[in-house]
Amino acid sequence: MRRFYLFGFLLLMGFDTLSQISFKYAGTQALPVAASVAWLLRVFGQPWVYGAIVGYVGAFFTWMSLLKHAPIGPAFAASHLEVVSVMLLSVWLFDEHLTVPRVLGAIAIIAGIVCLGLAESREHTPEPAA
Amino acid sequence: MLPAAGSISSLVAGLWLLNIVLDTSGQLAFKAAAGNPLAGDGLARWKHMAARPWLWLGIACYVIEFLVWIAFLSLIPLSEGVLLGSINIVAIMVAGRFLFGEKLTRLRVIGILLVTLGVTIVGVAG
Repeated sequence: MRRFYLFGFLLLMGFDTLSQISFKYAGTQALPVAASVAWLLRVFGQPWVYGAIVGYVGAFFTWMSLLKHAPIGPAFAASHLEVVSVMLLSVWLFDEHLTVPRVLGAIAIIAGIVCLGLAESREHTPEPAA
Repeated sequence: MLPAAGSISSLVAGLWLLNIVLDTSGQLAFKAAAGNPLAGDGLARWKHMAARPWLWLGIACYVIEFLVWIAFLSLIPLSEGVLLGSINIVAIMVAGRFLFGEKLTRLRVIGILLVTLGVTIVGVAG
């Protein structure tokens, strides 16, 4: 069962990561940004936007089936920890830099997400009888 | 908490704020749609939800948010964008506290402060 959770969490992160990477490619190819039909046509006229949709749909169904079985705390954390994989991939794919503020910010955010995941776990596990 | 005007353009800041509003409204609308215990089960529940505005409001928010997020990410580095987007977690929890009376335990408050701190660091100096 543990292996099932781990696989589920990784799958969830994978779908979320796919979405974010696809969003970035789709947006970059549709530049310049404008509140116009022309921009919408540029967004939907290249394949990346559909990668983002696939990622969204995949993440949704993975999340729903995980929630049926997995504890909510780790599931919550896993559903937001794609920031790590997305940051690492953006260095490789988009030549971005892991600046000091970004790394510090990421550490604080991840610590916060872990706290929130722990809080969810506590709330959803029955308290041991006093 | 607003990104400093120097490092981030006002268009980016505006899209960031719009994303928070849409994401939070969407989540709350889904919560309002799904939370009615009188709605029944299975197909009856879906019919009940489809006949009320909450579900559709939630879907509309998410569709617009999808586009806002693409525009946002096209203007800043992805590694910065995903970190700034983490503030949505905080916005939803705070909104849930006010609208649905959800409890903010000490651990949750610590989590919220840490995420906010991280987003502030990235927004100001990212």
